[in-house]
Amino acid sequence: MSTTRLLIERLRQDLISADPLPPPPSLPNIPLAPSRIFPRTPETESLYAREARHHTTALLGIGHVGTRYATEVVLQFQAELAVAHAAVDTLLPDDWAEKNGLLPLRSRVTAHREFLLRPDLGRRLDEPSLRRLEAEADKEIDVQPILADGLSAVACMKSGLLLLESFTAACKRRGLRVGTPVCARFARVWLEDEIGQTTRARVAAILLGERPGLGTGDGLSAYLVYEPRVGKTDGDRNMMSNIHARGLPPELAGDRLAVLAKAMIDQRTSGVTLDLSRLSAELGEAASRAPRQPQPRTRLVEVP
Amino acid sequence: MALLEPIPPRILAVQRLYNADPAILRAYGADPARHTSLGLITVDQDDPTYVALDEATKHAPVDVVFAKSFYAGSGHASGPLSGEILGVLAGADPDVVEAGLKALISCLEHDACFYAADHDRKTAVFPHVISSLGDYLSAQAGLEPGTPMAYLVAPPIEATMGFDAAMKAADVRVVKLFTPPTETNFAAAWLTGSLAECEAAAVAFCETVVRVAAGPRSPGR
Repeated sequence: MSTTRLLIERLRQDLISADPLPPPPSLPNIPLAPSRIFPRTPETESLYAREARHHTTALLGIGHVGTRYATEVVLQFQAELAVAHAAVDTLLPDDWAEKNGLLPLRSRVTAHREFLLRPDLGRRLDEPSLRRLEAEADKEIDVQPILADGLSAVACMKSGLLLLESFTAACKRRGLRVGTPVCARFARVWLEDEIGQTTRARVAAILLGERPGLGTGDGLSAYLVYEPRVGKTDGDRNMMSNIHARGLPPELAGDRLAVLAKAMIDQRTSGVTLDLSRLSAELGEAASRAPRQPQPRTRLVEVP
Repeated sequence: MALLEPIPPRILAVQRLYNADPAILRAYGADPARHTSLGLITVDQDDPTYVALDEATKHAPVDVVFAKSFYAGSGHASGPLSGEILGVLAGADPDVVEAGLKALISCLEHDACFYAADHDRKTAVFPHVISSLGDYLSAQAGLEPGTPMAYLVAPPIEATMGFDAAMKAADVRVVKLFTPPTETNFAAAWLTGSLAECEAAAVAFCETVVRVAAGPRSPGR
């Protein structure tokens, strides 16, 4: 074996170190992956996400594991989605209204599936209900309160009565004549038109379970309309949403709704033409537009 | 980064003629009185094969009776087994031929080879140092067996620049200069001196060939 290989290898190293190749072309600027990781630590947590988390039950500042959610977050999501599904599936028991001293009504819907698929049927009263309403309810009133199941019977049963009571009491405090409280089954928002028209109310207010979102199967919405008539549109209505313990508490919502009803009667209109600018003085603190102080929030579902 | 990486020679065919016809023996330069057996080899690099044939004579009592490069090199071979050179070892019996072939092949596989003189492997350089000449090359060079020799090969212009650099860099003298065109159109030089001087000459030669290949039209140093 000659020394040639060794000699040439040495020369090769010398030449390469004396004259290195030009550096490779620089790579395109690829943005880095988000730096937040799970589990959260003070170093990795976004300050914004941490503050925002105190104000909402939404999935904020949940971090990530690689490109995926953490297992705990996925379980929480699935649990909350299940709550929403369950709320939609729940039916208001037939005798619930009577047990709670409300006049039971129902729409033209006959089955739950039909209720989901035929909104138009949920907006009209069936014949027996209409006759009973004509016979038993007070007429020529200022406010007709209506409790309804809407898309979440759970919400209706949970805080519906509380909202109805606080709304009725607040209206009476303001000297309004409140009609017979009724409870409508398989009801859509526009059912208030026919009920209010029948009782000849000046304002109809329907309080019904709203379409459940993640972890909010118990939210109520309230829709108010002046001079309810079949054929009124959504532009004629004023509404308030997220009435539940973690949103707008029912006790507070009753007051606000009564102020709204009074304003409709005073201004003889509702919906987009209603002037809300003068309401804040009457509402006091309840109308404050300042950001709400953070409140400790509890999730509807806790995953161990 | 292929600069100065070895380009291993490919052995295309190895054949034995253990009891060759005397006419064949004579035709290929062997002596029927002393030789009975031939070992034949074709390779795609000629100069490493000359060195390897010489190496074989140091390991076995064989004679290199025939070794000729083919015109225009292995890029224009007459067949897939032709390569660039046919080498023939002759011996008194099959065993010595076998021992000679073994040393020859070992040298081709592990020692003598061309190197890439640029990053693209387009230029080849052969800056080989034989520390101790065998019977074959010493006879060809007219030197004593055992003398060190630098066996330098490169394409014509690179080689010419390299030879001059080698002569100036080391205390060596020219044994033979094969100016182009040779059979394969390379240029070659055999330089001799002490082993250390031969090595210095080979390194200087190789460095110059790399420099010329990298800057064919740039002024020299």
